[in-house]
Amino acid sequence: MSELLAKVAEILGAPETLVQRSAEARAEASGNTVDEILQSWAGGETIAASAPEVKEEVAVVEEAPVEEVAVVEEEAPVEEVKEEVAVVEEAVEQVFEEESVELKNESSLAFITGVIGVAIFTYFFAFAIPKNQSQDLVAESLNNEIEVSQEVLKGAQVYNELNCQSCHTQNVRLLIPDSQNGKILKNRFADEAIIKNTGLLRLGPDLSTSATREPTNNKSWLSRYLKDSASVRDEIPHPNYDFLTSTDLDYLLTYLLSLGEVNE
Amino acid sequence: MKIKLIPKNEQDLSKVFIFLLPLVVVLSALLNFLKEVFRSFANVLPGNQILNYGLLDKISNQVTYNFLFSFTLVVTVVYLLSKSLGRTIIIFPIFFLTGLGVIGVEFVDVVIGFVSPNLLLDLGNSSVLLLLKTLIVGAFLGLILLNVLAKKEPSIFLSSQFLVGAVIFYLISLLVYRSDFVVMSDNFYVNAVYLSTHIYVGCSFVFLAILYFLITKGLQATLFSKTLGGISFWGYLFLLPWTGFKYFYGTTLPDWIENVSIYLSLSLIIPLLALIVNYSKTVITKENKDPIFSVLISFAFVVFGFTNVLQVISSISNVTPIVSLTNFEYSVRYGYMYSLILILIPFVYHLVPKIYGREFIYGRLETFNAYLMGMSVVLGLSLNALIGINSGFAWNAGANAGNPTIYGEGFLITWSLISTPYTFNLFLSLLFLLSTFLFTLSTLKAIIGGAVTESETVSEVSGGTYE
Repeated sequence: MSELLAKVAEILGAPETLVQRSAEARAEASGNTVDEILQSWAGGETIAASAPEVKEEVAVVEEAPVEEVAVVEEEAPVEEVKEEVAVVEEAVEQVFEEESVELKNESSLAFITGVIGVAIFTYFFAFAIPKNQSQDLVAESLNNEIEVSQEVLKGAQVYNELNCQSCHTQNVRLLIPDSQNGKILKNRFADEAIIKNTGLLRLGPDLSTSATREPTNNKSWLSRYLKDSASVRDEIPHPNYDFLTSTDLDYLLTYLLSLGEVNE
Repeated sequence: MKIKLIPKNEQDLSKVFIFLLPLVVVLSALLNFLKEVFRSFANVLPGNQILNYGLLDKISNQVTYNFLFSFTLVVTVVYLLSKSLGRTIIIFPIFFLTGLGVIGVEFVDVVIGFVSPNLLLDLGNSSVLLLLKTLIVGAFLGLILLNVLAKKEPSIFLSSQFLVGAVIFYLISLLVYRSDFVVMSDNFYVNAVYLSTHIYVGCSFVFLAILYFLITKGLQATLFSKTLGGISFWGYLFLLPWTGFKYFYGTTLPDWIENVSIYLSLSLIIPLLALIVNYSKTVITKENKDPIFSVLISFAFVVFGFTNVLQVISSISNVTPIVSLTNFEYSVRYGYMYSLILILIPFVYHLVPKIYGREFIYGRLETFNAYLMGMSVVLGLSLNALIGINSGFAWNAGANAGNPTIYGEGFLITWSLISTPYTFNLFLSLLFLLSTFLFTLSTLKAIIGGAVTESETVSEVSGGTYE
């Protein structure tokens, strides 16, 4: 038998121990003796299943290792899938395939640890640490607080609730980057609304110096513009805030007329 | 057609979700259209506390990026997780309630937006509702991880990997949401990280989970390489959360974080190439020859690829200062979101026979709608990119010429460059709304009137088979 085993191992180009194990598994499955199996392999014959059938089943396993087996439809019930996998064991080549599947076994724990690791790394290094550093930098600087009246703060909140910052920014850039013009140093513990009002999308004009320019430094013009924009300037669409209460409108005007002082 | 209010397993739950999903997409498209209308005709239309651009913008974002996103995430997890792990979901009743909770709290936020606009959650919020949202998403993540740990398959299918990544970064984005605003730069930190984790990672990972499912199971193709899939997964997981900072170039953010963002955005080319090769080589082997099904998947993939290319382009040193703080970033966030919406269509069409046991036929309506939706999305993204570049150029040119158009004096010049694309955008949002209606119609038609076919059943596959 050892000669036969050596011959089969040579034909298949596989270690003898592996061939022996495969033949034993095959013999157990098919009800034949190990010798018969080895002889059939040496002669290139198959015993139970036909070769093309086996090839097909292997292809299924290779093609979509998880999905094909996991998505069990009525046409292919679970038992059939198991049978298909069992057929895979019928030849030495298939044993290799099986072994390669086994080698690809992925640890859920390692995967989860990896993903959580990346998430924690991102949270701390892209967000928490630099955010705290910025706050510390400002805290250590001189002249790092702003002083605004309650009316301005209320106006900033109205501005924020109306979502004006979805079109208007209060940032200067390029000519004098914000990080150099002292803004960052003058807004420590500013009201949340004031910080949010800096905006993220520059669709309409930037309002950081709104109160220092014509005609937006004119209270009555600004009031008319906010209530009915088309009555004073109709080239560019702007929402009408005629639904605001007169108090809220006053707060908003006070805030807008403070721009140029608060952020500079 | 029977829909159980209290589902017993993931298949029953998917039945409810698949029925509702098109309606949520319609709601999102409707609000987006209304928002566009109230922007373009802001000074003509009568406004009130609800019907004004500012609030519609907030609610539209809430519906699209939070409610629709969470809905899609839960639907995808419910259907795909068990399939790709080879087992039924463990402790399903709790899983069901948690999933419902995730969607529920996001929906409550939308309702609050309408009922009491001032209470609508925005960044920097620390309300009880947001805390609840964070806890529920945390619990949902815990249940998913428990299922992954109890998997019965030797490997973790790519869809599951992307779903786990999406939920983890969804949770991170909620933690970021709660951050306070103390100094000026916080506005940019919080928004950049929230944008990147919630929209860039969240939407794209749910998209990729569905894509990998559809190109293998839907198209009946052979996955070309798990390794390439792994490269795109880990690549996007590591890179995408950093890519938002570059759109705040020149603001109070420190220079180093803007530079890191630029370099990591350029590196997106690696997972993108891995994805393109994997997709192309996989799709070649498809056995499902239905042309419209393939076209729908292709459109979603093209939009996703295009979005990644926009990310890379905006990282080029000459381009970054021009496109920062402009609509260019909108084309990127829309790109990730719309690629997800586009992939939902073949996903739903594919699931109708499996879940409801009703045949889905790709007729003229579905063919027309596939092209309508695909084209309106691609054109919409291109227009937003164009608006961003145009306005950025106008502001830079004005500043260099000593005429600061950015402040408003010469804003008419800028407006003349961007008003026409904005009008086109409004038209495209109308077409998109129409196509979402048609999508709903096709789905309902198949569910109600489709020929009876064999549906899918949930069975557990023993993991021992492979061991």
